[in-house]
Amino acid sequence: MRDDLKVGVFLCECGGNISDIIDLDEVRASLDVEFVGQFENLCSLNGRKIIRDAIFDHDLDRVVVAACSPISHEKTFQDYVKPLNPYLMDMANIREQCSWVHSDKAKATHKAITLINASIEKVKQSDAVDPIYCQTPDEVAVIGGGIAGMNAALSLAKQGTKVTLIEQSPSIGGHMAKIGKVFSPVKIAEECGMCLLNPILNELVWNENIEVLTNSKVIEAERRAGTYNLIVEKSPRYVDTERCIACGKCKEVCEVEVPDDWNDGLSTRKAIYRPFGQSYPESYVIDMDNCTKCSSCVKVCNMRAIKLRGRPERIPLQVGSIIVATGHKLFDMEKRPEYGYNRYNDVITQSELGRITGVNGPTKGKLLKSNGEVPKRVVMIQCVGSRDEKPDGHRYCSKICCTVALKNANIIKHKNPDTDVVICYTDVRTPGMFEKYYKHTQENEVRFIRGRPGEVVKKGDSFIVRTEDTLKGEFIEIEADMVVLSTAMEPSDGTREIAEILNIGTTEDGFIKESHPKIKPVATDVQGIFVCGTAHDPKDITESIMQAIASASKVSEYNYGGVEIEPFIAEIDKDKCILCGDCISRCKYKSMSIQNDEVYIDPMACTGCGKCLVGCGQKAIHVNGNIDEKILATIKGVLSNKNDDERMILVFLDNIGYTAADNIGVNRLSYPESIHIIKVISVNRVRPNHIKYALENGADGVFIGEFPGDLMYDEVERKVDRIKETLIELNENPEQIMFSKVYIPYFTGLARKLTDFDKKIEELNL
Amino acid sequence: MTSKQNIDDSPIDFAEKIIADVKNSKEEGVLKCVQCGMCTSTCPAARHSDYNPRDIIERVLEGDISILEDDLIWNCFYCYTCHSVCPVGNSVCEVNQILKQIAISNEIGYDKLYEYMGFADSYFTAAIGAIPEIFFEDIKNDVPGWWEFRNNLADIRDELELDPPLMPPKEVIDEVSKILTITGFKDKIEKIRASEEAKQ
Repeated sequence: MRDDLKVGVFLCECGGNISDIIDLDEVRASLDVEFVGQFENLCSLNGRKIIRDAIFDHDLDRVVVAACSPISHEKTFQDYVKPLNPYLMDMANIREQCSWVHSDKAKATHKAITLINASIEKVKQSDAVDPIYCQTPDEVAVIGGGIAGMNAALSLAKQGTKVTLIEQSPSIGGHMAKIGKVFSPVKIAEECGMCLLNPILNELVWNENIEVLTNSKVIEAERRAGTYNLIVEKSPRYVDTERCIACGKCKEVCEVEVPDDWNDGLSTRKAIYRPFGQSYPESYVIDMDNCTKCSSCVKVCNMRAIKLRGRPERIPLQVGSIIVATGHKLFDMEKRPEYGYNRYNDVITQSELGRITGVNGPTKGKLLKSNGEVPKRVVMIQCVGSRDEKPDGHRYCSKICCTVALKNANIIKHKNPDTDVVICYTDVRTPGMFEKYYKHTQENEVRFIRGRPGEVVKKGDSFIVRTEDTLKGEFIEIEADMVVLSTAMEPSDGTREIAEILNIGTTEDGFIKESHPKIKPVATDVQGIFVCGTAHDPKDITESIMQAIASASKVSEYNYGGVEIEPFIAEIDKDKCILCGDCISRCKYKSMSIQNDEVYIDPMACTGCGKCLVGCGQKAIHVNGNIDEKILATIKGVLSNKNDDERMILVFLDNIGYTAADNIGVNRLSYPESIHIIKVISVNRVRPNHIKYALENGADGVFIGEFPGDLMYDEVERKVDRIKETLIELNENPEQIMFSKVYIPYFTGLARKLTDFDKKIEELNL
Repeated sequence: MTSKQNIDDSPIDFAEKIIADVKNSKEEGVLKCVQCGMCTSTCPAARHSDYNPRDIIERVLEGDISILEDDLIWNCFYCYTCHSVCPVGNSVCEVNQILKQIAISNEIGYDKLYEYMGFADSYFTAAIGAIPEIFFEDIKNDVPGWWEFRNNLADIRDELELDPPLMPPKEVIDEVSKILTITGFKDKIEKIRASEEAKQ
C-alpha cells in the first residue's frame, strides 16, 4: 500500500552551493518517483509556489525536499507543503552533509542520490500527525524576593499577570537592602542603595497582581502538561502582620539579645525584631530559635498582634511558569583560615565593611575598628575564594568584587581622607564605564599593589599582610590595622535546594544553568522555568535587573503564544494498561504519572525516546509517528543504492549530534563519502534489530553518537555494549559498531572520529 | 635592557618540556600561572633569600634556560607551601625539582650536591637517609637543644620505655646497595664526587 504512494522530490540548487558539486541532472535521471522539481532557491517564496503547484497538479501524497539541513529549513518546508500535513515531508540534507563536506563530484552525486532515496523510503512510512499545542496557565511563581525577583514580579504584574513572590526570609529586599551605597559608573558617585530600592519595593507592595509570601519556601514541585503544582511552606511569624503597626514597644521589653544577621553579626538585635527599617511586610517577627517565651512582648502589645504559638502552613500553588531568583551567598571564610577572619575582629569582609559604613549600620556610618578607633591603614585582599582552584575555592571570577572594593575604598576616603587604603589585586577587572571609576579611585589616592597575599598575621596591635609586589618582584610585609576580604559570590543554599526540587540543571559550580549561554540566557533546561539574578551567575544589580525583566518577557511569550510540541511522543492504550507503574519508574524524563486511575504522559516532558515501550509487559505503549518503521526504511533506502565496491557506514545522531555534524559542513571540513548520517528523534530509538538488519544487508559499520548530557546516555551506552557482546557470540567483529560522545561545539572532533572510524572499517574489510 | 623575540623563537617549548616531565603532577598548571605572587608571599626561602618562586615560573614561561645555572634554584628545600597555596593548581616546588634534575643531567650544580654526599653514603652504609655530619655544626647553632637531644637520645628512649631504634639488618642494606648500584645511582654519585674532588 505504502509503495503506491505518490512521492514528489524537489531539488534545490542553493545558488550553486549544491549544484556546483552535485550533478543534479544525474540525480534527476536516477529518481523513480511521481514528480521531480528543481529550483535555484527552494526556500524562497517562488519555491513555495513550485512545491504547492506540484502537490495539486500531481496529486502528491508525500514530499522530499533535497536541500540544506532540516535544522535550517524544516519549518519553512513544513509550511510550504500545505495543505499536506507537515510531517508528510522529509528533507534530504545534500548541502551540510554532502556538497559542503565532499569535493569529489562523482562520489558526492552518488551519495546525494543515496540520501534522497533514503528520504523517499522514510517519507513513505510517515503518517499525518498534528503538532501538540499546550497552553500553560498564566499564573507565575517568582522564587526569591531580592532585587532580581522583585523586578521580575513587578514587570509581569504590570503586564497583567498574577504573580506570587516567595521569599524565605521575613522581608523582601535581599542583599541590596543591606549593601549601603551602590555605585553608578556614569555619575562616578556612590548613591544610597536603599533610596533606589525603596520605590521598587513600594510599587511592588501596592500592585494588586502580586502576592508576597515571606518566611516561605517551596518544598515540593510537580509538573503536569505545563502546569506546576507547588507546595509552599510558610513558617509562622508569631506576629500578625495585619494587626502589627511596627511601634516597637515589644522590642523594648524583650530581654534576649542575639547577633543581628542583617548587620552581618556586627551588632545585636532582640528575639522580636524588625529585620531593617524599610522591611516589608511592615511588621515585627519573632526569632523562635532564640525566644524564651517570657511573654513580655505579648503584654505590652496594644494591638494584640503577638501569638507565641504557631505552626507552619502549607500553601498549594498552581502556576504555568516559574522564575528562579534565589540569589547568592558569600564565600565562607572558615575555608581560608590563613587570612585570620575567625580569629581577629578587624579582619572583615566587604559586606561587613558595607554595614559599618552604612548609616543604618552598627556604627551609624562611622568607619571604626572594633576598639572604636579610626583605622590608619585598611588593606583589601581581592579574589578570596574566587579564581581559586584550591579545595572549596571557585575557579570563576566573581565579577563584581573589583568594583565593590573600589567603591568601599572611595567611601573610606570620603569619610577619612587620612586613612591609607591599599588594594592587593591580581588583575583589576573594570570593563566598560567602570574603568572611569577605577581612575577616579586612583585620583582619590587609593593605592594598588599587584600581588595576592598569602597570609595575614597579628603583630602587636596591628596585622601584617604578607604578599609579593609582583611588579617589583619584592616580598613585602604591609602593616595594617584593618583587613577587608573581597569574598567570592557563590550559589545560595536556596539556589541549590530549588534546583533539586525543580529538577533543573546547574553548572559545576552549583549555579542554575541557562539552556544556552549566548542565545537563551534566561531559559533553563526545563520548559517554563526561567532564571535571573545571581542564582544564575555572579553579576551586579544592573545585570540582575536586566535579566529579571528578560525572564518576565519570556514568561509573557509563553502566556500569549502557548507552546508547540513535536507530536512524536508516547501514548498509552488504556484498554491494555494495567497501571503497574513500571513505565513511570523507567522514564528518565519524569514525564509519566498516574492521574485519575490512568497513566498520564506529559507531552512537554516526553522526548519519544521509547524507553517505556520496551519494559511494558502489556504492550500498551506506542510512540506516535511510526518511528521504528521510519528508521528501518531509511536504512533500507541508504543500503539499496550501494555499489559493490562502496564502503557504507551508517551514523545515527539525534538533534544534538546532527547539529554538530552540520557544523562540520558549515565550517567546510570534510569526512569520507562512506559516512551516511541518519537523524533520529532519540538515539535510544535505534534498536538492536535495526543494527542487525543494517549489518546483514550491506552496512560495513555503524556509528552511534550521543550527547553525554542526555539523560539516556548511560542507557544507550549499555545497549551498544550488549549489541557488541551479541556480535561476539555470533563470531562477528564488535569493532563494526562504535559508540561515541558528541558535543555541538566539538564538530572538529566528530569529523575526526568519523574519519578514523572509516579508516578502521577499511582495515577490518581487508 | 631590551630583550628580543625573533619570529622563529618558541619560548613555550621550555615550559612544555617541564610539563612533560614525569615528576610534574600538575598537568597544565605552569601555563595557567597569572603571576599573582601568592607562592612568593608564603615562601620561607623568599623571606630569607632572593629566591622567588613566582619569578621561577615567569622565567620558565619566557623560555629562559639560564635559570638552570642560577644558584638561586638551590635555595628551595621542598616545603611544598607554594604547591598547596597556588590558586591555579601549579607547583613551583615540582618545577624546581625538574629544573634541578635537568641541571644535574647537564652537569650543573655538582658543587651544590657535593655537600649532600653524606646522605647518599648513608643509603649504602645503613639503607636509610641520615643527616650528614657536616651539617651538625649548623643545626647545633640554629636549633637550640638539638645537640643535647641527639646525644641523649638513647636515655630519652629508655625513659619513655621505647626500644632502641630499629635499624635495617645487613641483608636489607646489601639489597638496597644492590638496587642503587643497578639503577645507576652509585655511578652518578661517584661521578659527582670525582668531579668535585678533582676541582679541589
